[in-house]
Formats: sequence, C-alpha cells, structure tokens
Amino acid sequence: MQALLSYDQSPPLAAPFRFFLSAPVFGILAGLLLLWSGADLFSSRWTPGVLALTHLITVGFMLQIMLGALVQILPVVAGANMSRPLLVLGAVHAAICLGTLFLVAAFLSFLPYWFTAAAIFLGAGVTVFIALAAHALFGIPSTSPTISGLKFALVGLAVTVGLGVALSLSFGWSLNLPLLQLADIHLGWGFVAWGTVLLAAVAYVVVPMFQLTPAYPGWFGRGFPLSALALVLIWTLADFVMPGFVATLSSVSVVAVVALFAAVTLNIQRRSKRTRFDATQHLWRGAMCSALAACAVWLLALAVPVVGEWPGWPLLCGVLLLFGGFVSVIVGMLYKIVPFLIWLHLQNQGQGIMMAPNMKKIIDDQAMSRQMLAHFVSCALLLLAVFWPDWFVCPAGLALIVAYGWLLRNLLAAMSVYRGHQHKIAAVIATQQTPPSL
Amino acid sequence: MTQAKADMVVDARNMEPPDPFVHTMEALDAIKPGQKVLLLLGREPFPLYRALELNGFSWQTEHLPDGSVEVLMWHKTQ
Repeated sequence: MQALLSYDQSPPLAAPFRFFLSAPVFGILAGLLLLWSGADLFSSRWTPGVLALTHLITVGFMLQIMLGALVQILPVVAGANMSRPLLVLGAVHAAICLGTLFLVAAFLSFLPYWFTAAAIFLGAGVTVFIALAAHALFGIPSTSPTISGLKFALVGLAVTVGLGVALSLSFGWSLNLPLLQLADIHLGWGFVAWGTVLLAAVAYVVVPMFQLTPAYPGWFGRGFPLSALALVLIWTLADFVMPGFVATLSSVSVVAVVALFAAVTLNIQRRSKRTRFDATQHLWRGAMCSALAACAVWLLALAVPVVGEWPGWPLLCGVLLLFGGFVSVIVGMLYKIVPFLIWLHLQNQGQGIMMAPNMKKIIDDQAMSRQMLAHFVSCALLLLAVFWPDWFVCPAGLALIVAYGWLLRNLLAAMSVYRGHQHKIAAVIATQQTPPSL
Repeated sequence: MTQAKADMVVDARNMEPPDPFVHTMEALDAIKPGQKVLLLLGREPFPLYRALELNGFSWQTEHLPDGSVEVLMWHKTQ
C-alpha cells in the first residue's frame, strides 16, 4: 500500500527541479559580478551593476524557484494540474534563463537590443507560465487562503513583469516613460503584490506543517492577500494621481503589509512545538527579522531627513529585504521541498517493494546548517559593503559564490541520492520479475 | 467523532511530513476489514484522500474548533 500515493496529481520531478537546479547558478553569477564590478557598484541604487545584481537575484534566483515551487504546489494544494508540464515548462525555463542573461547584459552594456531581447524572452516566458497556471486554476473555487493567495500573487506577477517589460522596452526604444517612478512601482509590485503575497499563501500551509507551529490566525488568512494587493494598487494610483501626502501614506501602508506578515510569522514560529530549530526554521526566523529591519530602514528614511538623504539607504533596505529576507526564506523552503519531492517520487517508484530512504537523510543536516551559515555570512558582508564598499565588496562577492555554490552542491547531492536509489529500485524489481530457472 | 470508535489512533499533530502519511498507511496496513483507523492532524490532509481512494478506503473528516481535524478511515468493502 505504501506505493500508492497521490502520484497522479504530482508533476514529473524534472518539472520543478530544472528551475531549482539552475537558480543557484544565477546566485554564483551575482557573486562574480560583485568581484568584477568592485566598490563602485555600491555608489547608488541606480548603477548598472546594482541593477544587474538585483535582477540576477530577483529573476535568475527567486523567480525561478518560485515558479518551480508553484508547479509543484498548484496540483497538491489546489488540485490544479498543468497540462504537458515537461514540454511547456522546459520552454518557459529556457526563456527565463536566457532572458535573465540578456537583461544583465543590457544593464551592463546599455545596448538597446539586449533590452529588447530581455523583454521578449522574459515577457514571453512569464506570460506562458501565467497562462498555464491560470488555465489550471480556472474554475477552482477559492476555498482556502492559499488558493486565493496564489491567484492574487499571479496578478501581482503579471503586473510586475508587465512593468518590467515596459521599462526594458523604454530603454531599448527610447520611449518617453517616467522611468524612476515606474521603477519604484515595478519594485513595489514585485516585492509585495507578487513576492510577499505568494510567500504568505505558501507559508499558510508550509509553516505550520513543517515547523510544527500553530496555524496562522484566521483573520490573516482571510484578509492578507486581497488587502496586500489592494494597498499596492491604491499606492500605485495615488503615486500617479495624488503625489504627496496621500501617496506617501499609501506607501507606508504597503510597507506595513510586509512588516505585518513578518511579525505574524515570527509570532507563530515562537510557539513551535519543536524543541530544537532546524536550518529551515533558522532561515525563516532570520528572514522575518531581516524583513522587519528593512521596513524599519524604509520608515527611518522617510521620517529622518539625515537618513533619507544618505544614498546608501535604498541599498541597505534592498540587501535586508532581498538577500536577508526573500533568499533566506527560499533556501529554507528548498530544504523541505526538495527532500520531500525526492521521497515522494522514490516511494512511488518503489511500488511497495522497496521503501524510499528516510527524508531526513536526503540532504545531510550538517550540510544544510553550514550552507545556512555561509548564506548569513554573505548577507552580513553585503550589509557591511553598503557602508564600506572598498573593504567589503570583494569579500561579499566571494561569500555569495560560496553560499550559492554550496546550495547547488546540496541540491545535487539530493539528486545523487535520488539517482542511486532509482538504480537500487530497478535492480530489486528486475530480480523479482526474473522467472525462476528450470 | 470519538477515539472510542477507532481500533487504532495515529496522533500526527506533532509530526512533520511525510511521517503522518507513513504512519497512517502503516496503520491501515495493519487493520482488518471492519476495523477503523483515526488520524489526528493539525490540517486537512488533501493528498491523503487521493491515496485512500486509490487504495480502496472510505473516510470521514471532522473539523474541530481548535482548527485540527480528525479523519476516520476504514476498508470500503465492509
């Protein structure tokens, strides 16, 4: 009976794993970029190096893993199955990988055709993915906060990428768009309406499940996704129509949404039944504290003129939110999702004749903890690089290469366990099917 | 739904996936037709329902006020 899981509702392992395995490579490229650019990179948030670095992480690393996780989560949580996942997602994956590289080349060279190529590849890849996910979710009632959260997050992704494509094309074709204003709105939609809403939708299920915490409060599940999306929309409209006090007030409410998610998550995590935290729980706690710190820096910059006039504050805020917040959470999630998927597929392939290995043995605990430390060290060095770029940009670049290289190594080790066990299953099943000799 | 109705109880409220699933399947392997297994869990186990369907079991789910659920399972043939 152990063989019969809900296997028919799970996509092939290669569908999410192609995203998971290529994502750390973009983190390594981010480290190399820091080494190549040197201290000048951190002179402002608008340097080509910072823009390239940001998109290596947000698109190359985060978006890939988020899409890979969605491929897996949609059928399990919402019963929404994507049609022909290997073929279509293979094309989406290739388009996003190439589009990210084109975008980085565009920021570093400012040649128009790279921007056009990036807009075409990233726009097409994400549009196909959204169409696929929307088709799978069509007609599925929003019976849980996770399902409604996934739907709202896809809206957030569509707007984020739409704005990104418009910005890219305006560079490529010299369109007359308010670039700085659109860039801020693109960032707000990406971090809050897409990133935070998706994270909250997934956290609603996975935090209590994997971290043995109480459930998120009912009011949070019911109200968070729609409120977050609505506040980002109000802020966007206010920024165009009523700049000044109303726009500022609505931007504060958007930042407060992120802080609320972090505070609620820390509060339920505090009540975890687990006596000793594992790497995932440390990564989540670090991420939530980092996100709160990012919100505090943003509010300080708004309220205290000395901070607001310092060109380093957006970089400080970005490092805290992006590397300390989103990357930490994503790595923590990978350390649960990857072993679970490998266990699930091996359990089914064993057909009840051979059991899957213990899930906790698929990625070594110590390897996860050490990679986590490398990641936190890279975050600390990046923060120091904001204040003293001459001293810390190169160490931060090296630390990023180590942290993402180690993550890739841990994921490949899990794949090696998968392949090794597959061979054992094939051998055992072949033995059982061999007819007895006469 | 009370625990008295069940022949075996799997209290998976403090277990991390995939342990609740594994222990439930082990318990279902062990019961005879006419006997029942009760699973206590902090959330509704949607993937388990598909596995129960594939393996020929019936089930009844009850949501408790504290947000946890009780799933009573038995062989379909009875």
